[in-house]
Amino acid sequence: MGNEEIPQSSRRTTRSLVSADNCSEKPRKSISYKPTVYDFIYSSRNGDDKNLSLDDLISSFPGRTTQITEVLGHLGPLNSPMLPLFIYGGTSTGKTSIILEIFRYLKRPFVYSSCVSCYSPRILFESILNQLAFHKRSEENGYLSVKKCDKPSDFANFVKEALVSVLDILKGKSAKLSSKRRSTDDLGNMIYLIFDDFELVREWDKSSTVLPFLFGLYRMLGLPEVGIIFLSKVSPDVYYSNSGHFEPVPLYFPGYTEKDLRQIFMLKREKPELNSCFLEVTRQVDELSVAFHPLYEKYCEPLNDPGSNFSWETKQKREDAKRRLFSHLVPHIRPSLNEVFKISSLDVEAKTNVVKGKASAKKLGAQEEELDFHMCVSAKYLLISAFLASRNPATLDASFFDSTGGQSNGRKKRKCSEKSTEQKEMAEQELLLKGPGTFPLERLLAIFHLCNANFVSKGSSCPLEGSTRYKSTVSEELAVKIARSLKFPISRYLYRR
Amino acid sequence: MEKNPAEEALILLRSRLCDPHAFFSLLPSSSDTNFSKLKFLISSSITEACNNSVLLLGPRGCGKTAVLELVLRDLLVEYPDMISVIKLNGLLHSDDNCALKVRLKSLLIIKSSSTLQQMAAFEFNFFSFLLDVMRLNTKTFQSLGIGVRTIIKKIDCAQASFDDNTQFVISMLRECGLAHKTIVIVLDEFDIFAQGKQRLLYSLLDAMQSVTSQAVVIGISCRLDADQLLEKRVRSRLSQRKLLFCPPSKDELERLLEFLLSLPVNSSLPQSYVVEFNKELRKILADKKFKDTMNTLLSSDSTVDQIMRFLFLSVSTMDMKTGILSIENFKRAVVRLNRQPKLEYLKDCSVLELYILVCMKRLEVKEQNSYNFNSVMKEYKAIHDSFQTPDYYARNVCLRALEHLIQCELVCFMDNKGYNQSNEFRPVKLLISPYELQLGLKENQSCPVS
Repeated sequence: MGNEEIPQSSRRTTRSLVSADNCSEKPRKSISYKPTVYDFIYSSRNGDDKNLSLDDLISSFPGRTTQITEVLGHLGPLNSPMLPLFIYGGTSTGKTSIILEIFRYLKRPFVYSSCVSCYSPRILFESILNQLAFHKRSEENGYLSVKKCDKPSDFANFVKEALVSVLDILKGKSAKLSSKRRSTDDLGNMIYLIFDDFELVREWDKSSTVLPFLFGLYRMLGLPEVGIIFLSKVSPDVYYSNSGHFEPVPLYFPGYTEKDLRQIFMLKREKPELNSCFLEVTRQVDELSVAFHPLYEKYCEPLNDPGSNFSWETKQKREDAKRRLFSHLVPHIRPSLNEVFKISSLDVEAKTNVVKGKASAKKLGAQEEELDFHMCVSAKYLLISAFLASRNPATLDASFFDSTGGQSNGRKKRKCSEKSTEQKEMAEQELLLKGPGTFPLERLLAIFHLCNANFVSKGSSCPLEGSTRYKSTVSEELAVKIARSLKFPISRYLYRR
Repeated sequence: MEKNPAEEALILLRSRLCDPHAFFSLLPSSSDTNFSKLKFLISSSITEACNNSVLLLGPRGCGKTAVLELVLRDLLVEYPDMISVIKLNGLLHSDDNCALKVRLKSLLIIKSSSTLQQMAAFEFNFFSFLLDVMRLNTKTFQSLGIGVRTIIKKIDCAQASFDDNTQFVISMLRECGLAHKTIVIVLDEFDIFAQGKQRLLYSLLDAMQSVTSQAVVIGISCRLDADQLLEKRVRSRLSQRKLLFCPPSKDELERLLEFLLSLPVNSSLPQSYVVEFNKELRKILADKKFKDTMNTLLSSDSTVDQIMRFLFLSVSTMDMKTGILSIENFKRAVVRLNRQPKLEYLKDCSVLELYILVCMKRLEVKEQNSYNFNSVMKEYKAIHDSFQTPDYYARNVCLRALEHLIQCELVCFMDNKGYNQSNEFRPVKLLISPYELQLGLKENQSCPVS
């Protein structure tokens, strides 16, 4: 891959670059540096002065031509006011990167703040005010914000003040320029506020004043020179509160079609033929690119192999080579389909697997995620015990762990099947819904004792009687894996329905 | 670089449409409009030096605030020294102490700078406020028996009790009354002030009961039952006057559209272009197709805000080469405003995600009222077995697909209780109707089976 990824990767990083500017400003600029309004423009933030043409803009985002023209139409020509805009669309449909790139193309001042990095109203407010006041938090000022601003009422006043002062500077600049000659340096006298990941605001307060406040900010400010753009993953209809609010103009970024995706991955020089089968599972570019990467490497393997001779001279040979490459790849496609989410879903997986809540096993779970089973043998046994305790009915413990062990297992099962099928189905349904059950500590220790009697004696658990119950949310695969590492026959002790 | 006339015209139209007052300043001034009623009400209480209160009610985006602002603008010109305005917004100042502080500050500013500022400027910033106080004629304060220092302390001391502040407001109101100044207090989002104990409203309205004070309280709310939310003691102190704001009628609209969209003849724009533009515009407005478009828009939402959004969108897609509006602009704008977000998201779903949605729907048809990922997976397996579909995905892939559905809010968790449970066991529910799902399946191109 290497340098082939550059067009894509430079775009992907824009979000983090800009938000890094907002929140954890690096003291890269010297103290003598005097901030100007030019800081609000994209290019001077990231230090590239390259001019971007409209064609470049459109060609760097395949399948997004209509959206780009719609946004440009909404922003309008220089110095024209706009109604608030609400852009929505699923993850990785290019909302943030397109907006930022458009502002880079237009060279207009804007203030970007993401509700992910600014995770509370106060941080969001202060981040906006800091940017407007050219304030950078640094060691000299003790990483303080320019103003302490907690409440929407304070923010409404502060931000108006700050905006007016910035707009005055902008107006002064454009007046000076127009007196000489209109040049491309003209920033215009509009300033735009961009709120990214706006859907998170819904969870900020239960009384829900921040959301209508931010939606109504345009009206409350009463400054036609301020444009407001919201970016959101969810559609506007899920924002409705019972008293309503000022509604921005909606604009939808649809998911990419197969054709668009092909173009995007052609930009990255990957193999387009693969797409269609993956599209049945997901349409998110970020997930697909993760999935395609190993496949692409597989695809190129024969090329790097000195033993095989590929020639690209004639058209026919090229076709032939392509076919050979593809046939080399085919066996790898299927298995990878089911592993699509290996990397991108790691965070989610980790979240679900970490044992949460009541269990003392919580620490164990987390540790074992990170260390990949590097934990002591007794801890592993404890984990297995927890797993068994929470999956098996308590009444079956004795039969599983009695002296006959595996033999008694079969007898139990037969008994179960004798029950009426209806009742069984009901129980099954319930189990599906309930998830792992809870268990008292004694039972955990009892099983642990049974699994590995040499480590803990039963007497030690007595004072804990009547205390909280525990449960294990370790997935079955994980438990099996651990058991295998211990050579513990877990399947024999697990109650199957 | 010369500006072309089309661009200049576009900027002119856009600024006109973004101005919230534009629509209402064009309305004719007959005696039965809300504008003239409100103006009469306020001006009579100014001239007769009495207290008054009124509620402006109506759905959002019908111009309650805009009309009020126009009225106040006129009145400030007519009675320059006799009126001062205090604006409070329920979203910002519903917290009792916070609102009182704001009111105190602006009262002080009114007194200090009645000649400097006609309109009470909202200088919440402490330093500019200090300057204002310094500018104060100390005599007025001596007459009130309060030193400047104590006032400053009182206002910015967080510990200043509610009672202290209320007392102070009452005395200030009396002072203003004696000076024959009318205070107009605007309470935007009135219903939010009515939440909780309503101490603020009560103390304010109670202070107005004294003969010496002179104030008009104007409440703005989008809840038509706003006055029913009030406690009895508050309601009895509020006059029952209400003004109802309705969306504009069709005739009114038709008359106004031309004013809103046509270019002024005596401007810097080239004459021939203006004439051409206005001629085309009239042609469009008379067109039957345009009227149909307007009807589809108005049938869903006919508030002024919606109309302005519609016009703004149509204007902003104007062809810059010709600089003339066409009927296509208006049609596209309606499509953009009347969206069906759920269907759009359905269209973007992958096949596996659609499978999961269908499974959930089937479970709902079976009248299983509570289900989670595991039961969905069972159903998925059942479908797979009975229809012999070629593709069957692993469990974690399906879980990921479900998480994506939750992310775009086509599916949600039943409750927020199960935070300590993993996602596969938390009960979920469908957020779309079976009909929507069917439509979505039909429209989705990548869907193999119907």
